[in-house]
Amino acid sequence: MSIVTAALSLNPLTSGAKFNFPSKFTINKPLSLPKICCSQNTTREQQQLNLSVLRFTLGIPGLDESYLPRYIGYAFGTFLVLNHFVGSDSSSITPAQLRTEVLGLSLAAFSAVVPYLGKFLKGASPRDQKSIPEGAEQIFAMSQDIADNMKEDLAWGTYVLLRNTNSISVLISVQDALCVRGYWNTPKDLSKENIPDWFREQIKKIGFSNLKDTMYFQQAADSELKEMVPEGTRSLLVQPILRAPRLSPSQTEKSEGFLLLASSIDYAYTDKDKAWIAAIANKFSG
Amino acid sequence: MEAGTLLRLVVPLSPTRRRFVSRQRSVRASLSPRGGYEGPRPKREWVADWVSKNDDFVRSLPIYAGGASLLAVLLNRTVSGIAPVADASSSQSRADLLTLGLAVTNILNGLVWLSIRPKSISVVNPNGVECQRIYHNLPDSVTSELLWAWESLSDVTCCRSLVVIYDGICILQIGFANISDSNGGEPMVVDADKLMKGSLYNGVQKSGSQSYLANLALYPGKSELPFLPSNTQAVILQPLGDKGIAIVGGDTIRGFTSSDQAWITLIGEKLDATLAKVVYRTPLTVQE
Repeated sequence: MSIVTAALSLNPLTSGAKFNFPSKFTINKPLSLPKICCSQNTTREQQQLNLSVLRFTLGIPGLDESYLPRYIGYAFGTFLVLNHFVGSDSSSITPAQLRTEVLGLSLAAFSAVVPYLGKFLKGASPRDQKSIPEGAEQIFAMSQDIADNMKEDLAWGTYVLLRNTNSISVLISVQDALCVRGYWNTPKDLSKENIPDWFREQIKKIGFSNLKDTMYFQQAADSELKEMVPEGTRSLLVQPILRAPRLSPSQTEKSEGFLLLASSIDYAYTDKDKAWIAAIANKFSG
Repeated sequence: MEAGTLLRLVVPLSPTRRRFVSRQRSVRASLSPRGGYEGPRPKREWVADWVSKNDDFVRSLPIYAGGASLLAVLLNRTVSGIAPVADASSSQSRADLLTLGLAVTNILNGLVWLSIRPKSISVVNPNGVECQRIYHNLPDSVTSELLWAWESLSDVTCCRSLVVIYDGICILQIGFANISDSNGGEPMVVDADKLMKGSLYNGVQKSGSQSYLANLALYPGKSELPFLPSNTQAVILQPLGDKGIAIVGGDTIRGFTSSDQAWITLIGEKLDATLAKVVYRTPLTVQE
């Protein structure tokens, strides 16, 4: 009896790196998007997310065909204007031509907006790869005076968040423990032991510890946060870690800390990503 | 035209939203005036929200816009008394041609959007009873981690049953389970030894990686999982190192997205490391 299954292989780059607290942690390649790629011998029952669909493509590498309506809109709009001024004498333009040109220009404007709308439809994948900020270094620092299994949990949590979401940097702050990983904008001469303290000061300035709702900055982050997060951060997600509410409903949930994720692309976190991030935050709330 | 690949997300619409909403609701607690958050807040994303809510309408919008413009151009020509001939001699014709080109672009774009619309598949409620069985000799931290894994999976994915087997012992059986006939209405007990001798377990151990049975009804290996509800739609078999397996049962065909699979793999690694540290005092026993 043969079982037809789909074998999924892990990304060979990161499969070797376990989440157990490594003494030296290096990422020498840009982290890739999620992440499990299906093997080639798949059956029709296989959950095939990468479907071959006949889709128009010019075959030019680097040209994203979903932006084609925008380019066409610009080009044809320009031609219409040229045609109006150069193609005929100003005196002999008929009202019919004017009507056509108005229609054409509004259609050109609509075509230019169409790719922007398409980004928010279901099933649209983020086109841009996340880019590594220039000049920023990778760090992995953690507070030292915490229990071993908390250290392991933090190391695993940060590893998982970096790997499975479009983030370039992550920070977890729970009660007294703090862990940062990824690309951050720390001052150059900061020694490894002082890193957690420096972050704590920054956090106190912004006041994240009092957060109770999830905050999602989908586009370029505010200037207040710019000191801490790496350059080139476009979207930012802050997830509070709340203590599980006790039975009495009058007691409000208290914030035990928060999770901060930064990414170099806009609209980096889908609803599903946010749900998983909330699940990871719950792990630290116990 | 050449065939390209496109990521198609098969997203079951309402059930996952229900789960997400329930989680969000618990996060939004009342703000106490003393310890309120004072820092920067994100601005509302009007366009993104509107497009997500009116997905179907937005998908067909370019087609309507393009089609209407096409008709308008032709109408314009007839009304103005110009012959509808497609030549580029007069500036009127040139303007018409350009507008037609734009209309066609929009129509094609609308068609592309319609073709990549994710299918919504209905949820099949598992028939069985809820159960929660955890192996008794586990330290508290391990139990809380197992329960956390179950809560995360059931909240975020379409998972409705979870079974964890490690070192020949059924560590956890939680969620919906099939009713056992011999026990009279009780959830069926997992026979760990029988499972470990079967081909599903050995296949997964040999490959060392996750196995996703997207439509369980089509797999003959379904008979090896009698403890899952009979109408479980999708199953993920996740090996936990060399010694264990986690069986995640879902209520929708192809309900686990590739993102879910990646997360389940990493949670599996964590559970493996946690369970490996637990010292078992009872030796392996054969279950009847």
